[in-house]
Amino acid sequence: MIGLKDAIVRFGDRIVLDRLSFSVEAGRTVAILGPNGRGKTTALRAMLGFQKLDGGSRIAPGVVGYVPQYASSNQNYDVMDVVVMGRAAGLGLFGQPGQADIEAATAALAQVGASRFAHERFDRLSGGERQLVLMARALATGSNVMVLDEPGSALDLHNQERLLALLVKLREQRDRTIVFTTHDPNHALAAADEALLMLPDGPALFGPVAETVVPEHLERLYGVAMRIVEINGTDGLPHRAIMPAFAGLRAA
Amino acid sequence: MVLGAWGRRAQLIFAVALTSGLATAALADDIVITDHENREVRLNAPAERIVTIPMPMASGVIALDGSADKVVGMNPLSLTAIREGILGKIFPEAADISDAVTGTDFVPNVEALAAVNPDLVIQWGGRGSEIVDPITNAGINTLLIKYGTEELTRQYMTMVATAIGKPERIEQLIGWSDKVEKDIEAKAAAIPADQRPNVLYLGRSLSDISASGGGGSYSAWYIDLAGGKNASEELKGTVSINREQIAQWNPDVILLNSFEPELDVSWVYNDPILSLTKAAQNKRVYKMPLGGYRWDPPSQESPLTWMWLADLLHPDVFNYDIRAEMKTAYKTLYNYEASDADIDGILWMAEQGDAAGYDRFKAN
Amino acid sequence: MLTEGRAASAVQPRHWPKMAVIFAIFTVVLICALLISLCVGRFAVSAPRALEVIFGALLHPGSASEAMDERIVLLVRAPRVLLAALSGAALATTGVALQGVFRNPLVSPEVLGISQGAAFGGALAITLGIWGLGLLGTVFVFGLLALVLVGLLARVDGRTEIITVILSGMVIGSLFSAFVSLLQFIADPNSSLPAIVYWLMGSFATATWDRLLIATPGLVAGMVVLWALRFRLNVLSLDDAEAKSLGARPDAERWLIFALVALVVGCQVAVSGIVGWIGLVIPHAARLVVGHDHRKLLPASALLGAIFMLLIDTLARTLTPAEIPLGVLTAIVGAPVFGILVRHYYREKGAR
Repeated sequence: MIGLKDAIVRFGDRIVLDRLSFSVEAGRTVAILGPNGRGKTTALRAMLGFQKLDGGSRIAPGVVGYVPQYASSNQNYDVMDVVVMGRAAGLGLFGQPGQADIEAATAALAQVGASRFAHERFDRLSGGERQLVLMARALATGSNVMVLDEPGSALDLHNQERLLALLVKLREQRDRTIVFTTHDPNHALAAADEALLMLPDGPALFGPVAETVVPEHLERLYGVAMRIVEINGTDGLPHRAIMPAFAGLRAA
Repeated sequence: MVLGAWGRRAQLIFAVALTSGLATAALADDIVITDHENREVRLNAPAERIVTIPMPMASGVIALDGSADKVVGMNPLSLTAIREGILGKIFPEAADISDAVTGTDFVPNVEALAAVNPDLVIQWGGRGSEIVDPITNAGINTLLIKYGTEELTRQYMTMVATAIGKPERIEQLIGWSDKVEKDIEAKAAAIPADQRPNVLYLGRSLSDISASGGGGSYSAWYIDLAGGKNASEELKGTVSINREQIAQWNPDVILLNSFEPELDVSWVYNDPILSLTKAAQNKRVYKMPLGGYRWDPPSQESPLTWMWLADLLHPDVFNYDIRAEMKTAYKTLYNYEASDADIDGILWMAEQGDAAGYDRFKAN
Repeated sequence: MLTEGRAASAVQPRHWPKMAVIFAIFTVVLICALLISLCVGRFAVSAPRALEVIFGALLHPGSASEAMDERIVLLVRAPRVLLAALSGAALATTGVALQGVFRNPLVSPEVLGISQGAAFGGALAITLGIWGLGLLGTVFVFGLLALVLVGLLARVDGRTEIITVILSGMVIGSLFSAFVSLLQFIADPNSSLPAIVYWLMGSFATATWDRLLIATPGLVAGMVVLWALRFRLNVLSLDDAEAKSLGARPDAERWLIFALVALVVGCQVAVSGIVGWIGLVIPHAARLVVGHDHRKLLPASALLGAIFMLLIDTLARTLTPAEIPLGVLTAIVGAPVFGILVRHYYREKGAR
């Protein structure tokens, strides 16, 4: 379980988080939506413990599986070495990874479908492949909480599909708490149970995806008219998506 | 050799200087000197306030003048020599002269220099303009001198004597050193090459070890004069060496510097490597004496150095009575009657241990 | 749906057998370098005789040697060779640790002013007449202080620019160098001053068994603890946020590494003065061979550093009758090598 209780964060005179409270139960997935600068990232960092709170508290386990949007610049390691670093929390200051840690890392790579890259250099992978490896690292920590910072934002469509499929697969096991921030409400529809909308006017809105990721709320959130679109999913079943009204080309 | 010419030139300078000296007294004419960088140095009266940056020159000026009155600033290592040696006893007031005017690396502190209000600064020439320009730019009269051979030494001592208006003094000193040099040279000429011992002079011992090659080293010059060979001849200039190299040279004689007061011959005998050299095995390890100035570099006392070394290197050829020579020299140079205790101190009689051949320097 | 066609691309598995061979080669080269260094020098000792002396000493340690050639090998060359190798390994190790912690391949003890700080500590101790353990302590404290000041000046966090760290290092290094000059000005010209001047130039010429024994505990302890932190260095080389999420406490752990680096550099400077380039160049060379993982990079750098320093010091004492200053040789070799490495580094970066 992970969340915030009455969290307050101020940058100068600006109040970015104003007594924000929400929690994500075990086995649930929550998507955090909001335009830039409205506290989406701040809420994420606060949950992870990277952001000092001016009030309130955070609820989180000791180790959280964190998947950053971009890997830090100094990732010249082999993929295996990157994933094995996920075992660090359990090893202590002077610990060295042993057989069990290598096996856990290998299993994590398999879970995200990136086993064939195990001995490649991390910085030689494409953006999407790197994202998978970072997820494997988060899985390798053994934490049952995974927090992803805008996982789909830098990916091309192909990799977005792959990522969402993975998030859905992880959710299905119902043994993990997943939180991710996103620009795209459709990601929330595809992979999340609940959504947290960081509304610009008034308190944040938290609730099941079906009730929150709707045009009425999204228009308040983004300040842009939104429409529901019916499409045929790849599974042959009808899917519901949400698009901004300015999307596409005017039909004849 | 050129010495004959030097004797004549000294006489010429003496004559000119004397004449111009008299003329100066009568007509206030300028003293004009051409220094070692061919610069014209002009004084309208004999210098009365002199700063000496080269280390031997503080005692040099004192010797030429017969007093410390004219020295207003000196090199820190000149000052330590005065305080550690006999000159501080002969001229107690010299121990208080400022040494803030320069660093030991001859880089002048122009503000401190200007503060002592000198009318002449003596500085090394031929070592770059960075140590000269700050002084000349401040409009202070500067005399540049060059180091290395006895010839150069006599030239610049003459210049300084002229500058202080005592040209007759230099005639005396040059006459003496010329005579001693000729005497040693004549006797050393008969020594065959294979009987010339390898002599190693170590400029530094305690921080790192340094030695000098042939060209431009004054020590190399008088080692050769006294009938020895420079063991470190192959070096270029003065450089750092290590003990293994000393072992390889295996010198017959080791001369230790007089700059490091904590250094004495036990440094060689206590060292597992140096104690196995021929020099150590034969007890031919000597620390250079410290008289009115250190005997290593050129100074007004250098003829004593040559005689001392000649006696040690070739006791069968040379038989100078060093103690007598020193008594005469200190009387002439500083008007001082050196006691037996003084001489023992200068020659480091107690510290040399039972160095080979040092017995002959003992007082009777 | 994983991207196809990768099979033929640059797959470089770092199999453990290959690593074992590499390390074996390094170790063998080091041993050979040690033996060769013991056999060469200005004093002529034939190689068989030198080896005889060495093995004799190993079999009968503590027996006094009477002959000059024995003493040369055992009392002059042996401690010097060991000190050079140990110092090379130590400096390379600190270079690796600093480059990891600062996430920047262009740092090293002297770039960050640590060596200069340590040198100031030593010069201060000499001026005050403190020797022995007191000197060592002063050297360590000021080396650490220099590092602290650089850390404060550059405010190292997840977002510090490379250039800021290097500039801060230059500033602090220059500051301490200036303080040393100040000390030189007031030092006793007969004793302290030459000692300080010589101190500043790196040299192993004064190596004796005593000095080796003084420096070794700190050097070895520092290297051993850094070795124990090899996996942690991987983690610390990430962004602070990532490192924290992996259970590290980057601020505190960085300080630990700083202290260890100061200890190692302090011991090395205390007995042999400022030696440059090793900490900067060797980690790069080692990375080319074994990669960035600190678990392999640390030992590889230590071995390469030892070999390189041995080579340099042996040249310094045998090429000419004079001692060539170490700094001159390390720069002559180190600077072009570093130039090549930097080009390689940027070519690699561009290829991504």
